[in-house]
Amino acid sequence: MFYKETGQFKSKYKEELAAFPLFEDKIGIGILGVLTFLVIPLFGLPGLNYEFAMGAIMIPCMIFIIMTLGLNILLGFAGQISLGTGAFSGVGAYAFYKFITIFPDINIIIALVLSGLVSAVVGVIFGLPSLRIKGFYLMVATLAAQFFLTWAFIRVSWLYNYNASGAIEGPNKEMFGIIMIGPQSSGMTRYYFVLVTLIVLTWLASNVIRGRIGRSWMMIRDMDIAAELIGIRPLVAKLSAFAFSSFYVGIAGALMVFFWLGAAEAESFDINHSFLYLFMVIIGGLGSITGSYMGAIFVWVVPVLIKEIGKSAFGFDAFVMENFSTILLGAMIIIILILEPHGLARLWQITKQKLRLWPFPY
Amino acid sequence: MNEKAPKIMMEVKNINLRFGGVVAIQGVSFDIHEGEIRAIIGPNGAGKSSMLNVINGFYHPQEGEIWFDGQKRPSMEPYEVAKTGIARTFQNIALFKGMTTIENVMTGRQLQMNKNIFWQMLRYGPAIEEEVQHRKRCEEIIDFLEINHIRKTPVGSLPYGLQKRVELARALAMEPNLLLLDEPMAGMNVEEKQDMSRFIVEVNEEFGTTIALIEHDMAVVMDLADRVVVLDYGKLLADGTPKEVQSNQAVIDAYLGVPH
Ligand SMILES: Nc1ncnc2c1ncn2[C@@H]1O[C@H](COP(=O)(O)OP(=O)(O)OP(=O)(O)O)[C@@H](O)[C@H]1O
Ligand SMILES: [Mg+2]
Repeated sequence: MFYKETGQFKSKYKEELAAFPLFEDKIGIGILGVLTFLVIPLFGLPGLNYEFAMGAIMIPCMIFIIMTLGLNILLGFAGQISLGTGAFSGVGAYAFYKFITIFPDINIIIALVLSGLVSAVVGVIFGLPSLRIKGFYLMVATLAAQFFLTWAFIRVSWLYNYNASGAIEGPNKEMFGIIMIGPQSSGMTRYYFVLVTLIVLTWLASNVIRGRIGRSWMMIRDMDIAAELIGIRPLVAKLSAFAFSSFYVGIAGALMVFFWLGAAEAESFDINHSFLYLFMVIIGGLGSITGSYMGAIFVWVVPVLIKEIGKSAFGFDAFVMENFSTILLGAMIIIILILEPHGLARLWQITKQKLRLWPFPY
Repeated sequence: MNEKAPKIMMEVKNINLRFGGVVAIQGVSFDIHEGEIRAIIGPNGAGKSSMLNVINGFYHPQEGEIWFDGQKRPSMEPYEVAKTGIARTFQNIALFKGMTTIENVMTGRQLQMNKNIFWQMLRYGPAIEEEVQHRKRCEEIIDFLEINHIRKTPVGSLPYGLQKRVELARALAMEPNLLLLDEPMAGMNVEEKQDMSRFIVEVNEEFGTTIALIEHDMAVVMDLADRVVVLDYGKLLADGTPKEVQSNQAVIDAYLGVPH
């Protein structure tokens, strides 16, 4: 009798602690799975050129989601602000480049994980000031990291193997007999690789966030004094957040260059990119994984679509559309933040709650 | 309490604490017996909260010694003190506002959880076992404090009285030997105060937890406390049973006479 009850207790909690306790969520995830694994790779996105849909929307979106997840861990979950995301993503990209050129036979997955780890170490080093300073001052410290690192990406020519162009470029490289990266790799291969990476990283992040370490981040974020009096070491909590976050950002940086752009220079990791990722996190919703998805997709897709529609439907000049889409995006960001400061994730939550009651709101 | 010689759990000796020119605590000594409810009272600004902050390592006194479990304690950081089994609640609620009730209570278990980042990432095997095991204990505490209905509510949206109770739940989740409560009933109505008093007594009697309690409501103090320390302007004014303290002329002059 007693045993039975404890057993039930346990299974009840375990269920409650699962990633998607709700049936509706499970269905939603299933649909998304079919779409991303089958429908989109076969047919692309409705109304868009297939190459464009994959190369300009799907692949970059997924990479930016990883980036946003990374920054959200630091900013949304641990409450530590960073303007160095662009540069940290660069660390991952350059590290990946060095790994695959120094060890041409290295497995791509291993190279990717190692690049993430290098980025994590650099993140921890530049995260050290967070032990002493907060808020604006920390922002300035990470800004210094941003400028120092982009400077290094240009000046330290060892990083790009003394190329005359100063760019890092993906050579053709195989894994299990399939060309994964480089000019000869197929978009489909890269799509699937990025998709699987995204799923794995999302799953790992959601696990960490719901466990002991994730809680220690949120404790530091919400009330650092109380956290310390409960036994959290701020040093461990903050630096682990910097490490975990930079690990994701570094992997995203490597993916960005070698699974999407094909080649990149220091510019791809500049302060503008740091701001772009910050927008994605804030628009999506601080401290929300769903929000990271929504923010990255919104901030990336909206301007791309506006540009595309402007060009193809109205025949506007690309340069004009570029500016126009930036302005429109800016306006939309402001409107969303006024409507709901907690971002798209909260808007979605509210809508979902309303839908659940529909059509009998009581 | 029986009459055999009580065991001293904590003793503060000749504590002096200054903030620049402000003297917060001046030569205060007292002890806390194992298993008792020890009240600390005194007018506003007497140094009561500062005393708790000294005990849990948040303030480091310029002079004085702290003895815990029969040993002189070296200067410690708050997270180290937490490890020695001392938990507390705060005068101004210090909950984790972005988290739900159950999550807040779970934070009290952090020190007892230790599965590493790799297990955490997989949330499988030892990590999930650990999570479930501690979760179960937290649910029991939540049941005990009768806050079941707000388990999943973000604490920021809870009324004040319930927030105080969640804070107590979080402290209890640490399963402390010594529990420091800084005005746990401040701002509560009579009914809420009665509930809180009942919980404090039950924690003390059923779990054997030693409690140091700061409280302004004298009726509550007289009711709950085994012994009372009175501070005034950072100095020790009196120390004894509620009865002794109540009839102490210096205390009456300094404190009891002052209406609140
Ligand atoms: N961090 C600090 N910096 C400067 N002064 C402080 C600090 N903490 C406390 N003090 C001062 O120490 C004195 C004692 O404050 P404390 O908060 O301990 O009083 P208290 O007895 O808890 O009062 P209350 O009943 O109002 O809570 C006050 O004069 C206060 O201004
Ligand atoms: Mg006080």
